[in-house]
Amino acid sequence: MAGLPKLAVWKFSSCDGCQLSLLHCEDELLPLLGRIEIAYFPEATRTELDGPYDVSLVEGSVTTPEEAERIEAVRDRSEVLVAIGACATTGGIQALRNSADVDELARVVYAHPEYLDTLETSSPISAHVEVDHEIQGCPISRGQLLDTLLAILTGRRPNLPQSSVCMECKMLGTPCLMVTSGIGCLGPVTQAGCGALCPSYDRGCFGCYGPKELPNTAALAGRWSELGIPADAVARAFRTFTGNAPAFREESDRHG
Amino acid sequence: MTNEITTRRIVIDPVTRIEGHSKITITLDEAGEVANARFHVTQFRGFERMVHGRPVHEMPSLMARICGICPVSHLIAASKAVDAIMAVTPPPAALRLRRLMNLAQIVQSHALSFFHLSSPDLLFGFDADPAKRHLYGLLAEHPQFARDGIALRRFGQHVIELLGGKRIHPAWIVPGGVASPLTAEVRDEIAGGLPEAIESVVRALDWYKASLAGWAEEEAVWGTTPTAFLGLVTPDGEVEHYDGVLRAIGPDGTVIHDEIAPDDVERCVGEAVEPWSYLKSSYLTALGHPEGIYRVGPLARLNIADRMGTPRADEELAELRERLGRYPSSSFHYHYTRLVETLSCLERMAHLLQHPEVTDVRVRATAGINRAEGVGVAEAPRGTLMHHYVVDDGGLVQHANLIIATGQNNLAMNAGVKQVAQRYVRADRLTEGMLNRVEAVIRCYDPCLSCSTHAVGEMPFHVQLRGPAGEVLDELVR
Repeated sequence: MAGLPKLAVWKFSSCDGCQLSLLHCEDELLPLLGRIEIAYFPEATRTELDGPYDVSLVEGSVTTPEEAERIEAVRDRSEVLVAIGACATTGGIQALRNSADVDELARVVYAHPEYLDTLETSSPISAHVEVDHEIQGCPISRGQLLDTLLAILTGRRPNLPQSSVCMECKMLGTPCLMVTSGIGCLGPVTQAGCGALCPSYDRGCFGCYGPKELPNTAALAGRWSELGIPADAVARAFRTFTGNAPAFREESDRHG
Repeated sequence: MTNEITTRRIVIDPVTRIEGHSKITITLDEAGEVANARFHVTQFRGFERMVHGRPVHEMPSLMARICGICPVSHLIAASKAVDAIMAVTPPPAALRLRRLMNLAQIVQSHALSFFHLSSPDLLFGFDADPAKRHLYGLLAEHPQFARDGIALRRFGQHVIELLGGKRIHPAWIVPGGVASPLTAEVRDEIAGGLPEAIESVVRALDWYKASLAGWAEEEAVWGTTPTAFLGLVTPDGEVEHYDGVLRAIGPDGTVIHDEIAPDDVERCVGEAVEPWSYLKSSYLTALGHPEGIYRVGPLARLNIADRMGTPRADEELAELRERLGRYPSSSFHYHYTRLVETLSCLERMAHLLQHPEVTDVRVRATAGINRAEGVGVAEAPRGTLMHHYVVDDGGLVQHANLIIATGQNNLAMNAGVKQVAQRYVRADRLTEGMLNRVEAVIRCYDPCLSCSTHAVGEMPFHVQLRGPAGEVLDELVR
């Protein structure tokens, strides 16, 4: 397999769901294997890295001192680094703890918190090293992952959506939940990619895919208030799976 | 850890073909014999605290993010806990549909564990070249077997996607029921795939049984420490994954607990914290720590139950008990029990789909906060899972406690690692097969931390044997 571009997959703090998205590409994976040499890296220590790698997919957020060192080593050995998923691109759901006292948090979860060695915050990969591409989503879409890999292989720009979940609802013909039912929905400020799944089940968008480019969060929050949604609920809605993304975090802070 | 007082350590870091945030340390004594071996989990996310102050109806969606491999299990346990807080029983069709998705989840997860993660060792041997000892090596040399594994996993995932809209973190299981009813078309599509799935697992079972005699050595040393077993059973003793009562038995079948309401699980199970792992270790409170060591998952579920409750799987269970005895103890038999259970899950799916009620359009009960507390228990692929929430009057979570399968198996996994290390590892030589066996005992339990890090390409693997001053005595890289 000499001569093929080498792909590495790295895991930081996460649930493994985004890496599994690659495994779920059953039908697409075998043809891809002819174009790229895939090596999975569940974990490697700082001093024991091989490489370099042409493409590194990085899943998860940085939550421990060891991870903060390891991501530097990954960057050093990677030509192109792609952060995949809500954890890697925003800090993920575990960034909910960023507003809490980490010592108190560890005490609640563990009887002997002194055994833990954890950072104050859960932070995205881009807070530590330069990131070449980001694929948003909790979990990422298989289609966006494959497109990004093919784009890198062929030297074009990845074709990632810039529109909001609203666009996907329109294309599916799903009636707008906010307009027809007064349900709070993050669709207008959330990047497309999930196929507008929740609205098709009559649930407002939770923002799993994170902020779209230039989201007008203030206007949306204003509309939620007009619908009678209390400020603390608005604050929480922006602070969920991607609550550490600056646009969502700032809007959340304005409401509580 | 810094308090190493023994002379030499071997660190297996990373443990491959399970999730990344773990490693194994093997400690040697002066004579070069294995003094101890430990499995470390080094990830910390803190969900139990992060959810404080969040509305309880968000719990299924938030808690599903704990795991990308078994999100359905967390959706179910969380939704059941919120059902209890709303004081509602989901409509009958919703209960059947939740069961259906749970069974599909167990099928896909068991297929991943057996075919993708463990079978390369079984087919090629533990000393085989790691360059071919993976799923794509299987495709080249055992194509039917590999295709069966891929097809079974894909079938389970496809059912989850058909029901929930996506394979990972589906938003379909909700407090009070499920988000949408099952259409006749989807029912027929799932039912249409079942016969082939059943044949795939039967072929794997036949091959496994024919090969069993060749693994006598593994059977004899892979985690044979006697432990208790815990899991759900139906009130009349069948294997149960969604509801039922808790039963715990000793290694010889002596009943420790029976007919325990799932709400009472925290009365039976205690949690200890060890300095060397972020993973909590559960024990049975009736026996204390660490004597209360117990196992959950397929081996435990089959041992505690009187029968599977489906015809073909019951025949297989009878044969399994004829071959292994009534209460097999070796953790190597997780593989065999996993296959029998997969067959049973597929039979149960067929049974559920035949019921006329399964397509009923009433699938969700709605209510506000009617209780301050709720517990949800279900069987995840790897074992019993519990979510427990306490809420305030406004429905905001004040307290959350989770008991996960892998934590419950933690003490037994460590005992297994030590046993295998003592049998195979010698200080003066490190071999690939030796270390692979130490990892493989962990894979038997299919820890919930498993990931996709197994399938393609050569695994990075680096083990060092270090002397007292940290000097490298031996090194193995693959």
